Amino acid sequence: MADDNQDPQCLIVADADVLIRNALAEYLRHCGYKVFEAATSDDVVIALEEGAVRIDALLADADLPGHYNAFELRIWVRNHHPDVEVVLAGNIDAVAKAAGHLCDEGPHLQRPYDPASVAAHIKRLLAATRRQRL
Amino acid sequence: MGAQTILVVEDEFLIRFMLADSLREIGYQVLEAADGDEGFEIIMSGQVIDLIVTDVRMPGAIGGMELTRRSKSLAPARPVIVCSADLLKSESYPADEFLAKPYTIEMLAGLIARLIGDPWQTTTKTHSA
Repeated sequence: MADDNQDPQCLIVADADVLIRNALAEYLRHCGYKVFEAATSDDVVIALEEGAVRIDALLADADLPGHYNAFELRIWVRNHHPDVEVVLAGNIDAVAKAAGHLCDEGPHLQRPYDPASVAAHIKRLLAATRRQRL
Repeated sequence: MGAQTILVVEDEFLIRFMLADSLREIGYQVLEAADGDEGFEIIMSGQVIDLIVTDVRMPGAIGGMELTRRSKSLAPARPVIVCSADLLKSESYPADEFLAKPYTIEMLAGLIARLIGDPWQTTTKTHSA
């Protein structure tokens, strides 16, 4: 558990779908984390190699695009930044659940809202975007 | 009513994070997009966006100026600030403001406050697609 007087714990949320990425990142910010939003594995590598802030965990979509795929990225992180916890998730419900677990382990005692509502919010946004495209 | 929401569209990952983080520190709500395509997807999702800050040259089908035109066609009153290292201010129409790179967060924050107010002001209009 982080002390309130310490710098916030930092996460990377990596997902090529901007609506999923935005919603997860916002949820985790409500949990007290500082969150980097990465669209590709290249962004994740830049964030970790830059070293400006200490990254505590990476929550990544299993289909993340970039130079490394998600599984290669997990190996790269374990080799180069073994202190960073890596969580891969393959669908909206799984990734929201994983975010909920990170929230439980994070700076705040309570979740701001249930991860299921994060997943529902993401699905509503995706549906709205699809309707606009029709 | 919560703080005003700003959409930041920038393909350079660390610049985007720095901008978004600084604007959150000031008190704004911030949505981040890694290129114009993502920015337009956020606009079309129906989320309330009070102002857009966009880079001009980005990968993808929708560049910063095209995103500006699309946003203006959907919500003409919603302010857009374009940021560029190689565009001229006279080429930034229909954006509301132009910021030449490099710029400071103070310069950007000043423009944003002039266009939509400070984040603790709650009487701003909201603009959504």
